[in-house]
Amino acid sequence: MSFAVTNLSAGYGDTRILWDVSLEVGDGEIVALIGSNGAGKSTLLGAISGLVDLWSGSVRFGERELAGLPPDQIVSAGVVQVPQGRRLFGSLTVRENLLMGAYLRTDSEVEADLEHVLGLLPRLRERYGYLAGRLSGGEQQMVAIARGLMARPKILLIDEMSLGLAPLLVDQLLEIMQQIHATGVAICMVEQDVQTALEFAQRAYVLETGRITLSGPAHALLDDPSVKKAYLGV
Amino acid sequence: MQLFLQNLVNGILSGGILALVALGFSLVYGIMNIINLAHGAYIMLGAYLAWQLFTSFHVDPMLSVPLAFVVLFAFGYVVQRTVINRVVRAPVLATFLLTFALSLVFVTIALFIWTGDTRGVQTSYAGANFTLAGVTVPWAKLLTLVVALVITGLLYLWLHRSKTGRAIRATSMDVGAAQMVGVRVAHVYGITYGLGAGLAGAAGALLTLSYPLTPTMGDPFLIKGFVVCVLGGLGSVEGALVGGLVYGIISSFATQFDVTILGQHLSGTGLQDVVALIVLLLVLIVRPRGLVGRATA
Ligand SMILES: Nc1ncnc2c1ncn2[C@@H]1O[C@H](COP(=O)(O)OP(=O)(O)OP(=O)(O)O)[C@@H](O)[C@H]1O
Ligand SMILES: [Mg+2]
Repeated sequence: MSFAVTNLSAGYGDTRILWDVSLEVGDGEIVALIGSNGAGKSTLLGAISGLVDLWSGSVRFGERELAGLPPDQIVSAGVVQVPQGRRLFGSLTVRENLLMGAYLRTDSEVEADLEHVLGLLPRLRERYGYLAGRLSGGEQQMVAIARGLMARPKILLIDEMSLGLAPLLVDQLLEIMQQIHATGVAICMVEQDVQTALEFAQRAYVLETGRITLSGPAHALLDDPSVKKAYLGV
Repeated sequence: MQLFLQNLVNGILSGGILALVALGFSLVYGIMNIINLAHGAYIMLGAYLAWQLFTSFHVDPMLSVPLAFVVLFAFGYVVQRTVINRVVRAPVLATFLLTFALSLVFVTIALFIWTGDTRGVQTSYAGANFTLAGVTVPWAKLLTLVVALVITGLLYLWLHRSKTGRAIRATSMDVGAAQMVGVRVAHVYGITYGLGAGLAGAAGALLTLSYPLTPTMGDPFLIKGFVVCVLGGLGSVEGALVGGLVYGIISSFATQFDVTILGQHLSGTGLQDVVALIVLLLVLIVRPRGLVGRATA
């Protein structure tokens, strides 16, 4: 199912942050969204998830219009966010956090899915009964990803996954993202680490002060002089 | 020694109901950050419900406890969804005013229905007591304590074991993250406020065994519940329980003193709350988070 944001505008109070943003994520595609601090990347993900008010525009997933739906229905539709800063439930255990990820599910496969995500992220098995707030940054990011997976996403929106993590750990997490992708989940990743993001993704968009200024195949953007100058420091 | 034991037992007996009164208040504050000034009015409504059932149909107040819980839960849920939801993220003064206004409305309605006359429930076991090791224990108070402890335990288990309980705790930690996993926050807040009102109603029904009823009977319990919460640590089940028992025991021992302050002679029950409040101040100075409160919420 393809996912398409069209001419989306949004903001906080009277302040407009996003200006007619359009973006597409194809079925099973990996798309990177890059841009400097304050460009509006998280606001865009928030608007898609129904947490930030949409001023105008549409968010289509397959045949379905998601714009204007409450957050729970957007999650049910399979659009799931792994937020910037992890946003774990700090005084709940790792297990409880993962179960919160499956909050809307009523099927009987939740326990089986727990096993599946623990297989994907074995580190969490060792931390299963710990309070999430007590874990290291890397472990917390793993819990955040696992919590997102527990909702059975069709498209995963992942915001600043690598922020504050050691390069080795980032590589590990990317490998896990690759495995998630291999199961048919489309991925939209917001990244500060532009080099990493563009090497990982198939296509990419550049967001500058609330507007999409550039888009195309990721490797092409990697070679784009303006991208090189602005984001890669070369 | 005998006197000491008797005071201790009295304190624990009255502490249980205080814990229950504080529990719902603490829950609403802990999850939604609302100082619910209507809490006392829900206690009063639960009490009158039990009184009405007792008077009209001879239903024992003990049997009215679960009913009062259910009725006030539903009532609280509706009040939250229709009225309080509008001010959940408003400054604290707005929720203060709103819940205070609600309290006034409920008390006025009670005045219309039941008048301001003092009412009471006279059960067959009202005056009955037994003596153990020289300590006198009234049956009604013991029953009240047991029921209060059972309800407290059930709430704790429910919050920690059930899916909705988990969602309530998660929402109190991060509203946005809860929304991101699909929690409907307005519904969760409705349940939380409903629980607060339901627990108050259950406490009110229990209170009819040992306290007289008037439409303003909830006021002192609102204040005591507030003090108990702060004493034990706001926002936790454990805090309400410990705070309630400590408050009960302190005020029970306080009845043994008599002092003259500024020409005012204080003794017995007149001294209870004074001493309890002094202890509260001392606890707040030494341990601002309360006796069992956590450093961060
Ligand atoms: N809740 C909010 N209320 C008001 N303004 C906000 C809010 N959240 C973000 N903003 C503003 O919106 C703009 C875009 O912020 P946003 O978090 O979307 O940027 P971002 O691209 O994700 O940046 P970063 O790389 O720092 O995460 C910023 O100017 C920010 O100050
Ligand atoms: Mg951001």
